[in-house]
Amino acid sequence: MPEDLRTLRERKKLSLNQLASKSGISIATLIEYEKGEREIPPADLRRLAKPLFANEWDINPRSTPPPSPPARPERPAGPPRPPRPREEKPPQEKRPPRPPAPARSTQIAHLLALAARFNVDRAALEAEIGKPLEELTLKEARFWNGQFMRRIVEERPPKQAIDRRRAYLPEGIDGFELAYLQAQQEAGVLLHFTLFDGQTFEGTVAGFGPYQITIREAGGDEITLNKLAIAYYRKAGGAA
Amino acid sequence: MSLGDELRYLRAFHGGIHLQQIEAQAGLKPGTIRSIEQRYRRTGEDDEVLAKIAAVYGVPLERLQFHRERYRKALSAVLQRALETGATARFELRTGETLAGRVCWWDLGAFGLEPEGGGPLIVVQRHAVVDWPMSEPSG
Repeated sequence: MPEDLRTLRERKKLSLNQLASKSGISIATLIEYEKGEREIPPADLRRLAKPLFANEWDINPRSTPPPSPPARPERPAGPPRPPRPREEKPPQEKRPPRPPAPARSTQIAHLLALAARFNVDRAALEAEIGKPLEELTLKEARFWNGQFMRRIVEERPPKQAIDRRRAYLPEGIDGFELAYLQAQQEAGVLLHFTLFDGQTFEGTVAGFGPYQITIREAGGDEITLNKLAIAYYRKAGGAA
Repeated sequence: MSLGDELRYLRAFHGGIHLQQIEAQAGLKPGTIRSIEQRYRRTGEDDEVLAKIAAVYGVPLERLQFHRERYRKALSAVLQRALETGATARFELRTGETLAGRVCWWDLGAFGLEPEGGGPLIVVQRHAVVDWPMSEPSG
């Protein structure tokens, strides 16, 4: 005989919060199910059955609505309350607007430091602002500091295109060599490699990894050279 | 060539012997050689440790001490100085050659050298550089 969700939940001594977190169904939805306002869809029945240690068919998809609470007994009508006398407040005097807060000394110091980066001295800065720095307000100082910060960001050189990451082993291909090899590979340039033991190889770069370079020789053979074995390499045709 | 590069070279020369094997033969704590091989800063301060490693490889202690002074960051400093000044720098390689030229770029694995006498850029592997002048590069 299927039971209502609330009955089953209370029998299993689970709070609404616990059941919600275990089943993944929101508390608001559970309340609607328990009140019988919504029918529990089969998918949710499956989700509820597990935390309740029950089968899907043990849960009544449409719970019986709980009995409405007994109506409150009506109060006997008493004499009407007299309206509260309104307290008249004295008219408030309008406060004069506060004078703007002066700039902090740290703001001025920061502004001077920023201006110095552009070779702007105090006199030139004051001329640009149009008043002595001591007369700057907090907001004005903030504005001028922001102006200089924006100039710094705008004039900052673009980040280095090469992402420098240290290879696990010291001989690994790092940023500049990576860019060089990529350029040579794309251009199909013939490279001349000299190894530690004096052996030399010539070929175009077929591919490379962090610790190896594979070259394609004139005959079409591919050879993989360990970076650790290479002493140096250059474009073919020049003497070292 | 740094001490780490020299140790790796010696290890490769001895058939790629495993680190644990050398450490066991030398009676060193596990990880000692690995930390020396991979460090960029000056390392191998303990001559006693170096002597044990030298004995396993059958090389004189002085050889390892020589490379201890030529640690990777020291080469980086020389390369950076040469890059900034545009001066000609000289590098002795493991192959026995000496390359001289202007450093165009350097990274942690190699550096680009424009040869003194002209010709295409040479990409020199840092681990192939045995020695370099310890003083300022000539201008």
